[in-house]
Formats: sequence, C-alpha cells, structure tokens
Amino acid sequence: MTVLILTCEQDVTADMVVARLNATGVPVLRLDPADLPGGVQLSGEYVHGGFRGQLSVGGRLVSTSGLRSVWVRRPGVPAARAASASASASSWLTEESSQALYGILRGTAARWMNHPDAAARARHKPWQLHLAQRTGLPVPATLITTLPQAARDFAERFPDLVVKSVSGTHPQDPPEAVPTSRVAPGTDFAAVASGPTLLQHRIAKRADIRLTAVGDRLLAARKAVAADADPDEVDVRFARAGAPWEPVGVPARTAAAVHAYLREARLAYGAFDFVEDADGIWWFLECNQSGQFGFVEIDTGQPISRAIAEWLAQEADV
Amino acid sequence: MRLFALDYARPAEQLEVSAPYAYDSALQLNVLPDGRIAAHDHAVLRELGATTSTAGSKTHFDD
Repeated sequence: MTVLILTCEQDVTADMVVARLNATGVPVLRLDPADLPGGVQLSGEYVHGGFRGQLSVGGRLVSTSGLRSVWVRRPGVPAARAASASASASSWLTEESSQALYGILRGTAARWMNHPDAAARARHKPWQLHLAQRTGLPVPATLITTLPQAARDFAERFPDLVVKSVSGTHPQDPPEAVPTSRVAPGTDFAAVASGPTLLQHRIAKRADIRLTAVGDRLLAARKAVAADADPDEVDVRFARAGAPWEPVGVPARTAAAVHAYLREARLAYGAFDFVEDADGIWWFLECNQSGQFGFVEIDTGQPISRAIAEWLAQEADV
Repeated sequence: MRLFALDYARPAEQLEVSAPYAYDSALQLNVLPDGRIAAHDHAVLRELGATTSTAGSKTHFDD
C-alpha cells in the first residue's frame, strides 16, 4: 500500500517525511497536480459496478485501490504547467484536471491529511475563531467589519489593536506581504469601508507558541519574546530571528480543546498559533491546516516528520 | 480608497534564491550536488529559510 503525496518538487519539508517513509520501506508516490496532464497521468474506469484507477508519474504506476493515504502538502494548481492555447482553455483544463484527480481520489478508501473538504472549510479564519471559541480556546477580542463606525467603537473598547488579513493571503499584484501590525491610537478607520478588515485586541505576549497536531499527537514549541524586542514587531513570521523555538508541554485544558477542534474540523493535521500572555494563558490566533513544520523540527528536534510519516503509513480504512 | 489593511503592507520578500539542491525524480527527493538528501542538511535549510512559515506564502496561505 502506497502513500500518495501531492506537492511541488521544491518542497524540501515534504522531503523530511519522504525520507522517513523510505527508511521504513513504505512505498511513496509523489506528484504535483500542476504536472497533470503531462508528467502526471491518470486513468479510471467505472465498469461492471466497480472502479479501477491508476496514477503514474516518473515511471511509477500505482493503483488507486493500493493507496493507504493521501498527504495534501503544497500541491500546484492542476494543469498549471500544461501547454494550452488560451487563458480560457487553460482555466477549463485546470478545472477538468482538478475534478478528474481529486474526484477519483475522493472515491478511494485512502486516509487524508487533510481531506479537501475539511481543508477548504478550515482555511476560513473567521470560522477558525468561531470553532476555537466553541471548543474552549481563549480567543482575543476580534472584529471583522466593513463599517468604519464599528471599527471606531471597537477601538474605543480595545484601544490596543492589531490588524491582519482576513484570509491569510497576501496581495500578488504587486506582490506585498501583510504582516499582523499594530494600529496606532487615533487611526482613521474610514478605509475600512473599502474591504473587510480584521481588527484584534493585541495580547501582550511573552512568547509565541506553535502547536503542531498530527493525528492525536500534539507537539508544541515556544519562542520567547526577547526582553529588548520591538513592541511593534507582533508577527513572529516577520520578526528578526531572536530566540530559538524550544519544546514545551501542552497544558491539559489546551490539549483537550485542541483535540476537540481537530475532531470538529475533521483535520488530521493542524498547525496552531498561540501567543502566551504574562499569566501563561495561550491565546488562539489561528490554525493552519497545512502549516509549515520544518523550522520547528530543525530548532527543537521534535519528531514531527516522523509523526506525519507514521500517520500516513497506517493502513487505509476498510 | 486603498484597503485599510494594505496601509500596513510591505513589499514581498523575493524568495527566488537559487537553491543548492535539485529534485531527483527517481528518489522523489531533493538532493545536493554531492548526492546527499537536502532535507538532512539542516544548515542548508536554515540558510534558505526553505521550511519556515513564510516559505510558501507566495502561493499558499497555510503557513
């Protein structure tokens, strides 16, 4: 039984897991949907009341009935590298390729990390906040609005605010990054009317926490805020290197809430971001259903790639 | 009117650094010029930031 990994070739984080699987003799088929059609081929037939399908890439051929799990890591857009005559044809080919690949895979008994339906829902940050609240994780006061007056009222109640992207994406034209940033007192909120804006009460943090959940396993790491850190540097992804990530235990209540979150979200993998306040409380910021883990493993030595490999190596549900 | 959040945007970092490894389709892994598996060389990965939480931001938002 084979582990199917959907990711791009440059994904060296996926390599950490592929190497683990290789070491334990678990067959792997790695492909990038961007290479379908072309480098990746598929075929499936529904006859006599049954289904037979196969995938191939680079001379490897796997029957879809022989898949034990599918890891959706960093897949390219289906057909992205296919030659096509026009943009509309390209868009259509992408949809055709996406439906063919993911549609066939959805019909297999393979276990997913993560299932596309669960992943699509889990990407919605407002839904993440809702689910975190419902499962008992502390959530900073947050407002998502297009109403300038609502923003002003919120700023009166919570004067120390940050602004962040609602979607977690970054503008591409031109390419820009939108780090979580502090909002200065007296800021004019008129531009909130131009698009949904997420404002959040800033938690004065003494550390960032990255909790990586793999199945039932929780591996948490903590990065202390330096005493001389710039208080305006709130987004750890964009902060200067500072202290390394270090392993940290997960408080029992947090662990229970995270398990409930994963159950309800139907996620096999999640990278949770928290900030720890002066009282030691972990405040939920977000859960990235395909968040990076390599940097944490490299700093802490935590066996995240091994945990993922072990989860993927379990046999498919029957 | 410019979006409120974009007042806090900064130019995206160009991550198009040429990586000292290449994908080997036979191994299904990226390998260094000396044949070693790139993922086993943490120094290289640190230097490139290839596994960090902004590494995939350009095309993926799950970082």
